[in-house]
Amino acid sequence: MEKYFDVTYIVESLPMLLPFLKVTFLVAGLSVLFGTLLGFILAAMKIGNSKIAKKIAYGYTTILRCTPSIVLLFLTYYGIPAIAGNFGVNINDVDKIVFVVITFSLQFAAAMSEVIRTSYESIDKGQFEAAVSVGLSPSQAYRRIIFPQAFVVALPNFGNSLLELMKEGALAYTIGLIDIMGKAELIIGANYNTHALEIYLALAVIYWILSIAIEQLFLKLEKVFSKGKQVIKTT
Amino acid sequence: MSEGLNYQFLVDTFFVALSGVPIALIITIVSLLIALPLGFLLALTRINRIPVLNRFAQIYVSFVRGTPVIIQIFIIYSSVPLLLASIFEKYNINMNVYDVNPIWYAFIVFSLNTTAILIEVFRSALSTVSKGQLEAAYSVGLTNVQAFRRIIIPQTLVVALPNICTATVNLIKATSLGYAMSLQEITLRAKVAANVGYNYVEAYIDIFLVYLILCSLVEYLFKLYEKRLRRYKAVNV
Amino acid sequence: MMLEITNIHKSFGNNEILKGVDLQIDKGDVVVILGPSGSGKTTLLRCINFLEKADQGHAIFGDIDVNLKTASKKQIHEIRQKVAFVFQNYNLFNNKTALENVTEGLIIGRKVAKDEAIEIGKKALDKVGLAEKYHAYPSELSGGQQQRVGIARAVALNPDIILFDEPTSALDPELVGEVLTVMKNIANEGTTMLVVTHEMSFAKDVANRVIFMDAGVVVEEGTPKDIFVNPKEERTKKFLKRVLPEDYIFYI
Repeated sequence: MEKYFDVTYIVESLPMLLPFLKVTFLVAGLSVLFGTLLGFILAAMKIGNSKIAKKIAYGYTTILRCTPSIVLLFLTYYGIPAIAGNFGVNINDVDKIVFVVITFSLQFAAAMSEVIRTSYESIDKGQFEAAVSVGLSPSQAYRRIIFPQAFVVALPNFGNSLLELMKEGALAYTIGLIDIMGKAELIIGANYNTHALEIYLALAVIYWILSIAIEQLFLKLEKVFSKGKQVIKTT
Repeated sequence: MSEGLNYQFLVDTFFVALSGVPIALIITIVSLLIALPLGFLLALTRINRIPVLNRFAQIYVSFVRGTPVIIQIFIIYSSVPLLLASIFEKYNINMNVYDVNPIWYAFIVFSLNTTAILIEVFRSALSTVSKGQLEAAYSVGLTNVQAFRRIIIPQTLVVALPNICTATVNLIKATSLGYAMSLQEITLRAKVAANVGYNYVEAYIDIFLVYLILCSLVEYLFKLYEKRLRRYKAVNV
Repeated sequence: MMLEITNIHKSFGNNEILKGVDLQIDKGDVVVILGPSGSGKTTLLRCINFLEKADQGHAIFGDIDVNLKTASKKQIHEIRQKVAFVFQNYNLFNNKTALENVTEGLIIGRKVAKDEAIEIGKKALDKVGLAEKYHAYPSELSGGQQQRVGIARAVALNPDIILFDEPTSALDPELVGEVLTVMKNIANEGTTMLVVTHEMSFAKDVANRVIFMDAGVVVEEGTPKDIFVNPKEERTKKFLKRVLPEDYIFYI
């Protein structure tokens, strides 16, 4: 093992790593898409009147909250082909990214269902009543009055969940996905495991900048969308 | 794999996974013991805008929250041994870096990580306890330390408790990454058992169950404690 | 008869709030409902606008004849087009400006053209003295101003009747006057109003009929003079004695 820290490794690894951000973004983007859809369904179950639906949705959230990402990742990676195998379907050729996206969609859905539920519940019931009292139909009331307000409330938490997703996504390398983290492992391997520290620092810098950028973006979005919303309840 | 689950293995490995619980818990408890006071003190420097420390805490929190835990682990695990080796060499200490138990690295990584999380938790909790509480404490003759110990901290704790619970659960979950430091915790033990006969599905079901039980239990305990702490709040409701 | 309600019942769990209330309102009436808290006044108002579903009861709104319990979505929508509501805690749309609050129901609910709606909206806001505040968000307005927007929002719809649910009880005392003045003005224009309030002066000066409710039933009703000067029922007398100053009678 080489014992000397060499900054040039950090600088040189950056251009090799950055192209693989594409994969990282693809995983995050697809997981946000599917996770948000499923999150909406779960939130509707939590808000709705069916007791069974409620139990299922809350149970789902609790279980997912208690499962480490890496465990969920391997459960889907080994479990789904096994289940498919039992039905005589061979899915061994399916790209690894599919399992990664499934894992993080499931996880993101649990987080989003809470984000959506709490933001929906933060909107005073009187807003809906006022809307129907001036002649809006219930669906118009939701679309024009409730959702726009709930959306603003949800933004910061959505941003936080997105950050978490990006960071947890780094674990996809463990099943062999070549995203930015996977590429880093390849580079380290090619260096015969020397100068690993420098490569990891380069990775950390990339993630750090990315996180700050996302954070700033959401602060901006919040400002843009939060018209008239400095105070929700004044009384 | 298509012949279904190996139930014998499923049951046996459950106990293998379970045997990793003490290590996960020790890391969690040690990390919390370090992170709770440190996080609280650094949160105070943020709230009171103590010049250099405030800035340091801000950047520290930003870094830890902005990077994946696994990368933090790799950074510590590949830098601290280098540091130790050069220290050993310099002071002629006759000790091999590779003999250091990986749990020490785990203590470092997870307490550093949890400290950052708790700085934010305490910062937002402290900002909910009004300044008037501190002023009232001074007005009845309490010293600074007394005011904090008897008035501010108990109130802060109640507000912060749900978030401390989340941080604890996340910490327990994060110990599953101990494999990267060859730490013999829940995940690694079950995985090693699975290596023999490729019983990965069974192994991960076991790991999943152990974390589920462990985390649900921790959440339950926090809820109980919260109820006790909240007694003074019930009067207001 | 513009609005006729018969035998309305409503319970929350085991708690029976309305125990068979009847109510008739003519065009141009200003009817004030008085009564101790918990007497069912607010619930009555909310049932009329279907914000609560009555357990039993019947209503005739002009040419619409409807069972309050089994009304269809279409009937509810039609009735809400005729009835406007002013809320105790204003319930202005937080994501809309004062003007947008007023035009929302016109443009979306009634399909009025946007330009026309804006003109109506501005007129309504002018009427309540908020010509300067067209583009202010609710969070930028005082409680009194918010409630005046709430009233403008109801007036702009040009409804057959406006229901007021304790419109001043969430306001600081010094802001009550401006809202009552606005209500008085629109009453003088011939607007039909059903008002739940604790403001005795408003009932005395503006209402042409006063209804006293207690424990889910109408105890007594009549002109303000009937109720304030010559109350017949013991319960009414007791209530008035509690809410009015000792020597109040002399000012009537």
